[in-house]
Amino acid sequence: METVRKYFVIWIRTAGMAMQAQLTYRLGSFGFLIGKMIRLGFFFAFIVAVFNHVDTVAGYNLTETALFFLTYNVVDMVAQIFFRGVYGARRTVSEGDFDFYLVQPCSPLFRIVFSSVDFLDIVTLIPVLVMVGVAFGRLPHAGWERYAAYAALVLNGVALSYSVHVFVAGLTVRTQEMENAIWIYREVMFMGRFPVDVYAASVRWALTLGVPIAVMTSFPAKAYLGRLSPAWAAYAFALSALGLIASALYWRASVARYTSSSS
Amino acid sequence: MKKYLTAYAISLQETLQRRSTLIMDRVGGFAVILSLYSFWTALLGDKPGFMGYTRAEMLTYVLVINVLRSLVFTGRGWQLVGEISSGKISSYLIRPLGYSAYALSLDLAQKSVHVASAVLEVALLSALTRGALFLPRDPAAWLLFAASAALASLLFFYMEFTVSCLAFWTSESGGPLFCFELFLTFAAGAFFPLDVLPDGLRRLLSATPFPYMAYLPARVFLEKVTAAEGLRLLAVEAAWLAAVVAVSRLVWRAGVNSYAAEGG
Repeated sequence: METVRKYFVIWIRTAGMAMQAQLTYRLGSFGFLIGKMIRLGFFFAFIVAVFNHVDTVAGYNLTETALFFLTYNVVDMVAQIFFRGVYGARRTVSEGDFDFYLVQPCSPLFRIVFSSVDFLDIVTLIPVLVMVGVAFGRLPHAGWERYAAYAALVLNGVALSYSVHVFVAGLTVRTQEMENAIWIYREVMFMGRFPVDVYAASVRWALTLGVPIAVMTSFPAKAYLGRLSPAWAAYAFALSALGLIASALYWRASVARYTSSSS
Repeated sequence: MKKYLTAYAISLQETLQRRSTLIMDRVGGFAVILSLYSFWTALLGDKPGFMGYTRAEMLTYVLVINVLRSLVFTGRGWQLVGEISSGKISSYLIRPLGYSAYALSLDLAQKSVHVASAVLEVALLSALTRGALFLPRDPAAWLLFAASAALASLLFFYMEFTVSCLAFWTSESGGPLFCFELFLTFAAGAFFPLDVLPDGLRRLLSATPFPYMAYLPARVFLEKVTAAEGLRLLAVEAAWLAAVVAVSRLVWRAGVNSYAAEGG
């Protein structure tokens, strides 16, 4: 319990500093915030506009497709809010700051992953959550177990995203470069904006079994709509457990090989 | 001219040398295009067309956009912001070269590699999906498309250059640049044809230079405009380019005058 309290205090402190930085950087933050809103708004407008001309895409109507898109945003934004530190990992390592993380009485992984919080995404997440509520309201009534499955699979998606971030952090510590790795993940995540069923079978399998973007973004919405079998739900949770273990082991191996890059 | 060619050659070598970065950039771009291609394929289903585009035309639009994204939407804006903020720009200001022409040389080198990769990706995706591509039959359409895409590339470069010059006055220009690039990408039709947008919004956008950067060149390629109309669009695009270049020069001059070499 004491450990949890310690890490919570550290997180509050680093999050507070990140917030101060974003509030000081007003014009910049405002530009980034408006940019994120534009991206969200344009994609949403696109989906709505498309459904003015067709009834379904890959068997999903407008509200269902919107739920997939919104779920993608929820998972992606929560990951952005909490795991933002990984985006600065390369600089932390190449400038030697990682050496200080290693001698501090705090997990270096915690510092590198959670050292920054993107408050702009919290602001963007609010309208997304409201729209998820609106989408639920427009879909046929579902029992509590569907809501529970949706929430559990969204959390599961965030856990998988955490594994990817830890893996990228490990890669950065190991190679002291790979600055693009996290951006590749962001670009590939683009595929999660649409229901996985729009893709060809081979791509669908790759997104479910290979790079599990479908598990992160499509599975929660499919579970809510009653289109995900219990076997696939179990697979999703098992995959996350495996991902968390594998990424933690990789991180540990990467730190063991670290030889300091600047001192 | 020779110094700019040298800068181009060095930048080309550098881009090709950083192979892992290049491959990762392309993988990311390919994911976006595969995603959009799949969405449109699912949307079209068994339908012969959508909103005035035949199946082949709509899928070709997505693929042409992949090439245009590589040719048009890569600039030197973020580098310029970094160089101004760090003071590194000072070392360029004392050299016997024009900064914008130098930056354009570097940008063209990057574009050369990315366009070649994009064409390969289009060929690969087309072969994998066995999708019927729409290829213009009229040679004039190819010429008009090439000219329009080249102007679009310059238009984006100078627009981004102008916005990046904000860094001369504020260290917070990254936010506005991010916002501008995102808006421009959507407003240019680089994700979806602007035909899907409501009439009012489409008309509003057509009064700006944005659709000339992706949507209109793609329509020229798809032979959705006549040769005469294509020439008219090209003239308007050239006029926009002249205006943007003039503004960028004014802003650059004003920026250099107020530059205090902070950090340099």
